[in-house]
Amino acid sequence: MRRDARFLVALLLCAAALFWAIPFAWMAVASLRPGQAGAMDLASLLPAGPFGWSNFSDAWSEGHFPLWYLNTVLLCGGILAVQCVTISLAGYAFARLRFRGRELLFHAFLLQLMLVPPILIVPNMTTLVTLHLYDTLPGVMAPYFASAFGVFLMRQTFRTIPREYEEAALVDGAGPLTIITRVLLPLARPGLAAFAIVSITAHWNEFLWPLMAISSPRNQVLTVGLASFTSGAEAGSEWGVIAAGTFLVAAPLLLMFVLFQRRFVSSFVFSGIK
Amino acid sequence: MRLVPAFTHTLALRATLALTAALAVSACEAHAATEIDLYFPVPVQGKLAVEMQRLVEQFDATHPDIHATAVYTGSYDDTNLKTRAAIQAGRPPAAVIMSANFVREYVINNEVIAFDDLIRHDGRTPDQFMAEFWPALKLNATENGRVYGVPFQNSTPLLYYSVDAFKDAGLDPDKPPVTWQDWVDDLRKVTKRTGSETTRWGLMFPGTYDYLGWLTSAFAMSNGGEYYNPGYGGEVYYTEPTTIGAVRLIDAFVHKWHVMPEGVTDANAVTTAFFQGRTAMMVLSTGSLSFVRDNMKTPYRVAFLPRSVVNAAPIGGASLILPNGNSAERQAAAWTLINWLVSPEIAGGWSRFTGYFAPRIAAYDLPDMKSYLAAHPDAKVALDQLQYARGWFATYNTVGVRKALEDGVQAVLSGKMTPEAAMEAAQKQADAMMRPYVEQTALKLPE
Repeated sequence: MRRDARFLVALLLCAAALFWAIPFAWMAVASLRPGQAGAMDLASLLPAGPFGWSNFSDAWSEGHFPLWYLNTVLLCGGILAVQCVTISLAGYAFARLRFRGRELLFHAFLLQLMLVPPILIVPNMTTLVTLHLYDTLPGVMAPYFASAFGVFLMRQTFRTIPREYEEAALVDGAGPLTIITRVLLPLARPGLAAFAIVSITAHWNEFLWPLMAISSPRNQVLTVGLASFTSGAEAGSEWGVIAAGTFLVAAPLLLMFVLFQRRFVSSFVFSGIK
Repeated sequence: MRLVPAFTHTLALRATLALTAALAVSACEAHAATEIDLYFPVPVQGKLAVEMQRLVEQFDATHPDIHATAVYTGSYDDTNLKTRAAIQAGRPPAAVIMSANFVREYVINNEVIAFDDLIRHDGRTPDQFMAEFWPALKLNATENGRVYGVPFQNSTPLLYYSVDAFKDAGLDPDKPPVTWQDWVDDLRKVTKRTGSETTRWGLMFPGTYDYLGWLTSAFAMSNGGEYYNPGYGGEVYYTEPTTIGAVRLIDAFVHKWHVMPEGVTDANAVTTAFFQGRTAMMVLSTGSLSFVRDNMKTPYRVAFLPRSVVNAAPIGGASLILPNGNSAERQAAAWTLINWLVSPEIAGGWSRFTGYFAPRIAAYDLPDMKSYLAAHPDAKVALDQLQYARGWFATYNTVGVRKALEDGVQAVLSGKMTPEAAMEAAQKQADAMMRPYVEQTALKLPE
């Protein structure tokens, strides 16, 4: 009986996995079939020839992918690097330091999660122009340097670490900064890793803010670049080229997930994010 | 944390490279060229973005004292958002290809400059200048007698139909439906069902934001209505019989005659269905002509949008505008670019590439254009419909007021609301959104 139940669960999970994989399979199939802008079996999941790489070469030649990759990596890496500093320090302050109004301040911080980013576009852009960061990659990164979600996550992670570690370091003469970098952060690595995934995925896929803050083609990122030759509201789209372009955009993230899968899963289990 | 040094390093490297490049460029040129940027949306298909970049490069090559950059800015709505944000942040672009019906709002908000002085400086009057464009475009390009938009790419909604589907249903492909009655008769014949499943729909059109408002206004206009007040940005006529009748027609397509699928279909799905023979007709912009011509494998034709009482259709497409807040040099350079873009040769070439009609009348006197129209009768139909074209819906807060209607029509398409109730709600929302403007204008007594 128990074995039956386990079998059933496995079957359900397989079905869910298959269901989730359908868009990816469709993208893969469509990207490999050239000239299918409106053929009868356009949406066919079953691979039927003729196959070819021409969609990929079309997509590659219509866009400046190497530049877009570089900019996107710089963007996501830059945001994450600064975020790691700010959320660790702020997380530590909220988890360990005692000061007047701490809870109030923390809740005010969390309120930031409620704000819909688009309403901040104009104020943020005004700030960027004042700081001479308009139309630069650091300008796109700037609004994300502080992250309410990250602070919350690090605060929770730090609180799960027994105080004895810090007290031992304190006895050895370590200051707060040494304690954070040498004691707490190594122990909080799973929390940081979980945050890194959320942060990178979010900024890799972001469209509206980079579209607003960047004008020069040399600062363009993947999402906006992809849209520039695939989006079309008034007519139709060449599905094969879109699929190939989407594949090119998503591939690094997919690859990263496959390579670090085990670590990601354990991080998420540890930090309790789902 | 190890990321930090590596990242700063690459950034520093990039900055150095950029600086070196900039120095190299400025060293080459004796005097600096005026830098201008042109925001452009891609409402039709990606190929256009590449072509626009090519055009601007061609402009730069022939105008050494100006350096223009074409900046892709998403859909019409995204472009509007970005332009507005850039103006408010104090970094306005030099010129924008803006959805033609948004111009009025920029004028209301004092965010664009009129072209009148620039036109006069060239030795023409604004009226002489506007006379070079098709008359139907004037309404959206001018405001209070001044020119605020230069028409660049324009369209009207068109009925596309499959010749095979017509023949299959025993209809004559040379006789497209002319009135709503013909249309419904034909639609019922071309819709094909096996059992409870529809294998070929009679009609599809995009029900997504921006498109749906445009098409609903087209039906309302051909129903004898005006849909909005062309002379004043604070009034829309969503609950007038002419609009109600148009929405009832849409409702009946879906729920009475079952010739159109329920729910909201986007433009990509509509064209894909048309190419695959899953719909016999579609209503789509003339701006999609080239895309359809390139991708439709079986014969198709186009016709005027069927009428209820009059032939009428709103114009669509985009105009070039000059945002407020640029230096005189940038304005002059942008004006040079705009003049070049709407010159008969360039405008004609862009028209043939996209399918939009060229707003400049003289473009059609060129031999290239004549042979193109002879080879493509569908483009001729689009041009002929122009004489019945009218202004495009434009109010204070155009996007919000338009969405109020679109939410209502979408509810009707999905069978959640009756046309009357949906339009009642839409009118209420639209009135509330336009209220601040109305208070400040029409309802304001002289002091």
